[in-house]
Amino acid sequence: MQSQQGNKFTIPIGPQHPALKEPEHFEFNVDGELVTGASVRLGYVHRGIEKGTENRSFVQSMYLLERVCGICSHVHATAFCLGVERLAEIEAPPRAQAIRVLVAELERIHSHMLWLGVGAHEAGFDTLFMYSWRDRETVLNLLEDITGNRINYSTNVLGGVKCDIDREQAAAIRQGLDFLEERTTHYLDVVTSDMMFLRRTRGVGVMTYDESQRLGAVGPTARASGVARDLRVDAAYAAYDKYPVNLVTETAGDLEARFVVRIKELFESFRVIRAVLDDLPEGDLTTRMPRRVKEGDTISRVEAPRGELFYYIKSNGTDTAERVKVRTPTLPNMASVLTLAVGHQLADMPMILVGIDPCFSCNDRMVSVKGTLDSQCWTWEQLRQYGIEYYR
Amino acid sequence: MNTLRAVIALLFFPGGLFILFAGMAYEWVDRKLIARFQNRIGPRWFQPLADSIKLLAKEEVIPTDVNAILFVVLPVIALAGALASALYVPIIGLEPSYSFSGDLIVTLYLLSLLTLCTGLAGANTLDRFSLVGATRALTQMFSYEAPVLLALLGPAIVAESWKISVISEYAKSHWLIITQPIGFLVAVIGLMGKLEMPPFDAPEAETEIVAGALTEYSGRGLALFHLGKSVELMVGLTLVTAFYLGGVANPLLFFAKTLMLLVVVAGVQSLLTRLRIEQTVGLWWRYGALLALAQFLVMIAYEGVA
Amino acid sequence: MKLTTMWKDALGSLIKPAATQRYPFVRREAPEHLRGQLHWDPSACTGCGLCSKDCPADALEVIVLDKKAKRFVMHYHVDRCTFCAQCVASCRQGCLDMESDEWELAALDPRTFDIYYGNEADIASILDGSTEEEAEPAAAG
Repeated sequence: MQSQQGNKFTIPIGPQHPALKEPEHFEFNVDGELVTGASVRLGYVHRGIEKGTENRSFVQSMYLLERVCGICSHVHATAFCLGVERLAEIEAPPRAQAIRVLVAELERIHSHMLWLGVGAHEAGFDTLFMYSWRDRETVLNLLEDITGNRINYSTNVLGGVKCDIDREQAAAIRQGLDFLEERTTHYLDVVTSDMMFLRRTRGVGVMTYDESQRLGAVGPTARASGVARDLRVDAAYAAYDKYPVNLVTETAGDLEARFVVRIKELFESFRVIRAVLDDLPEGDLTTRMPRRVKEGDTISRVEAPRGELFYYIKSNGTDTAERVKVRTPTLPNMASVLTLAVGHQLADMPMILVGIDPCFSCNDRMVSVKGTLDSQCWTWEQLRQYGIEYYR
Repeated sequence: MNTLRAVIALLFFPGGLFILFAGMAYEWVDRKLIARFQNRIGPRWFQPLADSIKLLAKEEVIPTDVNAILFVVLPVIALAGALASALYVPIIGLEPSYSFSGDLIVTLYLLSLLTLCTGLAGANTLDRFSLVGATRALTQMFSYEAPVLLALLGPAIVAESWKISVISEYAKSHWLIITQPIGFLVAVIGLMGKLEMPPFDAPEAETEIVAGALTEYSGRGLALFHLGKSVELMVGLTLVTAFYLGGVANPLLFFAKTLMLLVVVAGVQSLLTRLRIEQTVGLWWRYGALLALAQFLVMIAYEGVA
Repeated sequence: MKLTTMWKDALGSLIKPAATQRYPFVRREAPEHLRGQLHWDPSACTGCGLCSKDCPADALEVIVLDKKAKRFVMHYHVDRCTFCAQCVASCRQGCLDMESDEWELAALDPRTFDIYYGNEADIASILDGSTEEEAEPAAAG
């Protein structure tokens, strides 16, 4: 019963824990079942992706960056492509942009349904988990048929997309969407009216509008607190200006509101996908993309299923990026978990944690090395020496 | 002759081996039903057996800083308690092997031994998940134990005996589910609480505290606890069926009745969300205990009049 | 407020076939556009090497034996391949094709992951070359 801080009893969640599908370390100080303090340690899945882009060409980097996140892979590639295309002063053809939107919305469906299942599982409602994941297979099969892969679709190429939508595929998508729409209506009914489930979600983890502004929450987490912010609406990219999205917000800010926001966003996605299929521009899938990208830097922002995804890309005129900076939506949302945790039951912790739809591997962008040097800036030689000392 | 009968009853039928295998069969039915409710295929028929053999064959890791004797003995006591309780209940509708006046109370105590051992096992280790799990397990035990006792005493009052065989004989001619529906409900839900089935699985909620009190258990100890739980599922179902669903009967009919009960239990497991521990306690003391008590008082009043 | 909202799903599932499958015994048919193992058609290849240059996973090697006589061998590492189809997009001659139903590529023997495409005699010469490389460095070049 050794506790680290005085007389506090600390429950560690992670780095290895059944509630977390990825390694990350949370410490909850508890008084009986009541949580009195929370802290997080990030960085277990730092993969050096930003550094990795420095010795890959733009083409290769796109596939590396696609693997920042396993669930929202397409949106990462889109963000990078849009940024690089802007630097190279070209624009993907309208049909390619429309297909990017289509795949992004299918991906959002897959991500939100996955989250619905995970959220239900954390609450101990495994039947909802199984059914939502079963129905998620529908959208995965559609993606597999369109792109050839189930998770890392690799739909984008610099300057366009690889996959086209033919008449048969369009019909299959419509059919799948009809089924999903019916099921989603049912799930909305379940999360808003199931008495036992509501006991775990209603009024739990309430984040007010002011708090969400102060903590810098993004995406559906913020929208559940009434923050009307969605990049697809505010700064329409790709073809979102042609296929406008209606903003979905809720005001309650509790876990139920987060379930409702995400499920209602599914209906929005169904509508946008149908709009894309109804009005798919004819034309080429790609434009010619120069290998060397003009010198300059740009910021590319897109709305990932989890919130705002931010890319900074700097080119030095060669075929390799000088610097790529990625900020995934989980990082700004993480502060809300630690703040909301205090005062809740230990049993609510996994729910509150999952409520932001965390993706830990995505947010681990940097490791800070605690060494003898005071400086934040280390030379390669110093880092190498540190490594040798560390493993001695 | 008597010794031989005792040995057979203890080791083979209805105690010992038979009850172990029957328990695993019931566990399989439970798992399969939940899987079917969730549109999955579910485990194959030998899965609980395979799990047990695999666990028994594995190394048992004894953590440092625990009382090693207690750590090893607790799962044995838990399983022994569950197995012993099987001797006093009418397994598959047959007369209980042993019977004496007041065996109902003894059986209930033996059935509680599993939870008690789980709690102690959790408290014995230094693991934080185990400690929280142990606290929750014991808290939950204190919440359901009283209402369940009241629910099972109901039939005893009307049968005017503390003997399980007499009560089930009485239940043969009186379907107590009709005269004491609240008792039946409390008994079934109490059984689920005892076995830490969803929605009462807060003591072993994997997304919060990994495996609860049994987090540090592996190999043999874990297998014995699991077997104890399977046996208790079977004994509990038998007891509720014998008391509330028409008492001892033709073995096949009795088996069908327990299966029907298991279908209901599996349905409840798959349709409800896990309760937080304070919600569980609230549910039992606010509704379970009060309702059981109310029915109990009505019954006593009725008996007094008659 | 309802107590059990999903009972219809649960009861319905009892009579419906399960959504899960016993995978190695039951296989779902691969969709038409699935990306499986890469195939190379040497007839139009010019040996430009763009496919291997753009490959993010370093899974392709175009070995040029004789550029004029169009003797190329494609060395494909299936284990490294991420099935992104960038090579298919990069190839201007359309020699590469990924749409196939060969997707069960796991194996215990790592040698099965090394795939050579091309003229059999050329492949044999490369394989011989690589084994004799140490003995006769000159022959390998």
